[in-house]
Amino acid sequence: MAADPKMRFLVVDDFSTMRRIVRNLLKELGFTNVDEAEDGAIALQKLQAGGFEFVVTDWNMPNMDGLTLLQTIRSTPSLKHLPVLMITAEAKKENIIAAAQAGASGYIVKPFTAGTLSEKLNKIFEKMGQG
Amino acid sequence: MSDFAGMEDLLQDFLQEANDLLSDVDNKLVDLERMPDDRGLLNDIFRGFHTIKGGAGFLNAAELVTLCHLTENLFDRLRNAELHLTPELMDVIMAATKGVREMFGELSQGVQPQSAETEVLAALHTALGEGAPAPAPAAAPAAPSAPAAEAPAAAAPAAGEPDWVALHAAATGQAAPVPAPAAATMTPAPAAPPAAGVPAVAKDGAPSAFGRRSTDKPGGAAVGRRVEERARENTIRVDTARLDQVLNLSGEIGLTKNRLTSLRADILAGKSDSETLHALDQAVSQLDLLVSDLQNSVMKTRMQPIGRLFQKYPRIARDLARQLGKDVELVLAGEETEVDKTMIEDLADPLIHLIRNAVDHGVEPPPERKSAGKPEKSLVRLEARQEGDHIVLIIADDGKGMSAERIRAKAVEKGLISEEEANTLDERQSLNLIFLPGFSTKTQISDVSGRGVGMDVVKTNIQKLNGSIEIRSEPGKGSVFIISLPLTLAILPVLLVLLGEQPFALPLSLVREILPIEHDKIREVGGKETLVVRGEVLPVISLARLLGWPLDRHPEYGVFMQTAERSFILGVDSFAGRDDAVIKSLEDFRPRGVAGVTTLSNGQIVLILDMKELLSDLGQHPDVDRGMRALEFS
Repeated sequence: MAADPKMRFLVVDDFSTMRRIVRNLLKELGFTNVDEAEDGAIALQKLQAGGFEFVVTDWNMPNMDGLTLLQTIRSTPSLKHLPVLMITAEAKKENIIAAAQAGASGYIVKPFTAGTLSEKLNKIFEKMGQG
Repeated sequence: MSDFAGMEDLLQDFLQEANDLLSDVDNKLVDLERMPDDRGLLNDIFRGFHTIKGGAGFLNAAELVTLCHLTENLFDRLRNAELHLTPELMDVIMAATKGVREMFGELSQGVQPQSAETEVLAALHTALGEGAPAPAPAAAPAAPSAPAAEAPAAAAPAAGEPDWVALHAAATGQAAPVPAPAAATMTPAPAAPPAAGVPAVAKDGAPSAFGRRSTDKPGGAAVGRRVEERARENTIRVDTARLDQVLNLSGEIGLTKNRLTSLRADILAGKSDSETLHALDQAVSQLDLLVSDLQNSVMKTRMQPIGRLFQKYPRIARDLARQLGKDVELVLAGEETEVDKTMIEDLADPLIHLIRNAVDHGVEPPPERKSAGKPEKSLVRLEARQEGDHIVLIIADDGKGMSAERIRAKAVEKGLISEEEANTLDERQSLNLIFLPGFSTKTQISDVSGRGVGMDVVKTNIQKLNGSIEIRSEPGKGSVFIISLPLTLAILPVLLVLLGEQPFALPLSLVREILPIEHDKIREVGGKETLVVRGEVLPVISLARLLGWPLDRHPEYGVFMQTAERSFILGVDSFAGRDDAVIKSLEDFRPRGVAGVTTLSNGQIVLILDMKELLSDLGQHPDVDRGMRALEFS
């Protein structure tokens, strides 16, 4: 599956500056169809309403954190196919493993550049194309 | 030149949001002192530092990342009960928080923060049980990147859990040995080489080749860490619903304008039947309504909850109380009350001063409270609420109150008033003496409140906002400062007075009452005209004289006015009513004594007078000034 510029992203982070950074980076990569959510719980509501094709989520958030969001997505039949890219300031091994275990499609450590983001996204798109 | 060329927007956003976040952390820290084992609080504070760290990484603020990282790790240990919160640890945390705030200050100046104080970093390392690293500055920025770098590296050997690592590698599509992308992913230290593909990102969030530190600045020593001058925020956060309303209203006004244009064509063409006139009447009334709605909506976009200001204070009160060995809780109320943005900024200093004052001078030390039969913990209440078209702010303490007698004695001792003047003052007037320049109730100025800013500055600042401040105090029970402010600065309620045929506008906030001047009641005191109003001797100053107009007749009416310095009666010929003036400033050629202009409904332009300036001109004549001295405090 090639990267469709109209692909609808959901960026989940409790820090609006961070949402803006991610949104801008996505824009630079040509993805302009981006919605935002402040935490996992709000994200889940938006996802359940449908229409999203990609989730980029922070890990540490109030109400529902990124890992729980990921686990919930993977256990919800209508959502489990969604690619989920985890963003966090942690690069600890146990965190990466926990994310992988929960079924993250990718893992990216702050701070990062559009180049890094593009690379991670492309890897995920490739995999989705194969699958 | 700033260190953040091309990323000012990002920096602004970050600072605004991170400042809010840090204030929230500050308040939670105050709560944490009472409930040191509250996991919810520990989690929230952990997340606060974590989030700031994440944002700071994008700004390449390595020192901020380091400080937040260490503090975050500390809270990670605390929330996992691996460490227990001791008062010493609390002090370390407070120092770290302060360090973060200082770094925000540097960022707002457009410079990369300097490394946190060595003692703070060392204390954090010690608390974390890691021997402090060599104090070489390079060691600190390396800290966050070290664990970051080891992750992919750990993936390669895949010793312990091959399954998960393989799964992770598969899931992320990352070939196991990937040092290059890893380096691109983590560029926390300014020293790190910019990642490939950076040019595309340079304008937002990319590690471009800055990393210049404030120390590199020419004259950097002066810029230093304690740059007090805070750049005024020029941006504002507005609820989109409010903006939509503005948009909607301007659209409707456009439609009404179209209706009027077509009616004008009809009328110019000679059509004047009752139907056309009725339509005109309707369109104009509708426009009237829409414009006032629009004004209100635009005004609302400037309104911000005062809680944004309040949230900084519990921490300030706590630190000060600790320093003074007192136990004080600052209770906030009415944080959701909305106040004009500019006003919030201008209120920050007066409120800090009043709170410091309450903690320092207002409440007693615990032993004294105990012997007075009061609870040892004292309460200071900071409250905001809207009353009609005014915002009322209340700072109340449950301390020892103020003694009118002591204040009078102090004022006499300082030579601010004479003994005779002191004897004529009632309780309220006596309390108001503390607003005089040079007054301080404590014989020894403490290093806490006595920072060269007195209550007189508080009063002047409040009055600059067209507000007023009032004191109530009950000995033994406490003192209350009540600040009353207009809802907004953009619209000024004015009283229109006439001099001959010429109208002038006076700020209504200064007007106490209007009275007819009976000429046989005017008494000469010390060569000055005065009038007695309910026992109070007030000077009569004719507006004509203030403006330098010929005094060809006696004023018919008096306006009883009260400014920061004095009360007096302004003599005018007549009145034209009251109005809500939209002030247009006269930026380039502002004549002395004129605050601005406004337009009346009939299109006439009216000058809004700046009474303070007019009176200060008058004050240069010693005779007038002398006459008013005795009345300054009424």
